[in-house]
Amino acid sequence: MRKHDIELCLTLYALSGEYINGRMTLEDCLKKGREMGYTGVELVASQMVPEYPHPSKEWMDDFTALLKKYDMHPVCYSAYIDMGTHSDRDLTEDEIIQSTLDDMMYAKYMGFDLVRTQHAISPKIYKKMLPYAKKIGIVLAIELHAPHTPVIPEWQEYLEIMSNSDGWLGVVPDFSIFAETPHILNKIQAVEDFGCRQEKVDEICERHKAGEAQNVLLADASYTDAEKDFVKDIYATYGPAHLEWVPMLMKNTVYIHSKFWYIGEDEFDYTTPCDKILPLIKESGYKGYIATEYEGHHYNDTTDACEQLTRYAHMLKRLLGNE
Amino acid sequence: MAQFQAYNKLLISAAEGITNVQTGNMTIGYEFYGQYPSYRGTFLSCIESLEIYVDGEKVPENTVYFNVNGKQCLLSQLKDLYLEYWFILDKARYFILKEGGLPQGEHEVTIKMKHRIPYTGYSGSYLVLDGSDTKVLQVK
Repeated sequence: MRKHDIELCLTLYALSGEYINGRMTLEDCLKKGREMGYTGVELVASQMVPEYPHPSKEWMDDFTALLKKYDMHPVCYSAYIDMGTHSDRDLTEDEIIQSTLDDMMYAKYMGFDLVRTQHAISPKIYKKMLPYAKKIGIVLAIELHAPHTPVIPEWQEYLEIMSNSDGWLGVVPDFSIFAETPHILNKIQAVEDFGCRQEKVDEICERHKAGEAQNVLLADASYTDAEKDFVKDIYATYGPAHLEWVPMLMKNTVYIHSKFWYIGEDEFDYTTPCDKILPLIKESGYKGYIATEYEGHHYNDTTDACEQLTRYAHMLKRLLGNE
Repeated sequence: MAQFQAYNKLLISAAEGITNVQTGNMTIGYEFYGQYPSYRGTFLSCIESLEIYVDGEKVPENTVYFNVNGKQCLLSQLKDLYLEYWFILDKARYFILKEGGLPQGEHEVTIKMKHRIPYTGYSGSYLVLDGSDTKVLQVK
């Protein structure tokens, strides 16, 4: 690690809107990331590797040269379990192992600390990957993302497998599991794109926050179908954060995705209680990277992502005491 | 699904417009370009359907020749192309057979794409998005 026990990582995914719309190149993203105070990098290979799923040696050498140029550490190579690749069947076990091994080899070549894979890998295959992780020398982690939670049976099994891996297998908690209230882009989209009435959107959010049951809102005849869809969407996505999950997960945590959708000038996240989560992470003794995973680009890819990432970095540094 | 919709506008590229395609003395068709509408690329086999409309009329499926990665396929072949990855910054070339091409001037082009998000099968079925984009393009 560098200066602090917990350093900030930029997942390049946060700059999706800038990259895909041609406003920033990969090199621009790295340069800007360093300027904004990020010292680590996460690469979503399926997004930025032109020869994906098999990056060429030339591409990998160019990428690592860029990391060196901007003094950025390769933290996480994000991989997918694209279970539904085929139109007529799911991936087989052999295919999942093949693609996961490929990802681990490419990540190792580029010097990444870990490969982030997905829940769909299955506990059975995940266990089979442990000897490879140890011998190759790269951590294989699974992201814990909403709608999953650490208390569902499959995740209990994953956490058990991770606990017995000498640190070669681990979890990447994504803050989506702690999201409490809809962000502003959610509400804007409901009104502008889905035809909900502004006052009803606000009312639904208030009633959700007050803890009213979903079926009560769905039975309310004053809501249109679009507004009821909004009800379903927010009840499925947001709810009181289970802060007890933080200490439960930290033992096996190797990397963290602090997901967010919008942060205003006051540099406070009103969707996720970061002011409560970050101190708990610090208390746990975690040493590693936290990636700021800005995801507002799925709603509006013209928002200035760099301004969002700068504000969020300020908030994280403030909450972590990284001055 | 509220998410993943902001990238639909990538489906048709305004920059290239429409070009009529000549061979010998014949105008055999026309072409335009477009990207995959998401934050990451995809395997072509994840495209479940692709429909093109020009000036409100559906273009017959067997007249669309889809080009990416230096290769060409018919729309009916997409479902089998699980090794062909469409990189997010690469523009596919849509070459459409039509004797005489399109008349000079503006034409309204629509692409409707149903595409499976291959990592979303948590609850037994995959998320299939309805992507759609309409742009008025100029024949160049």
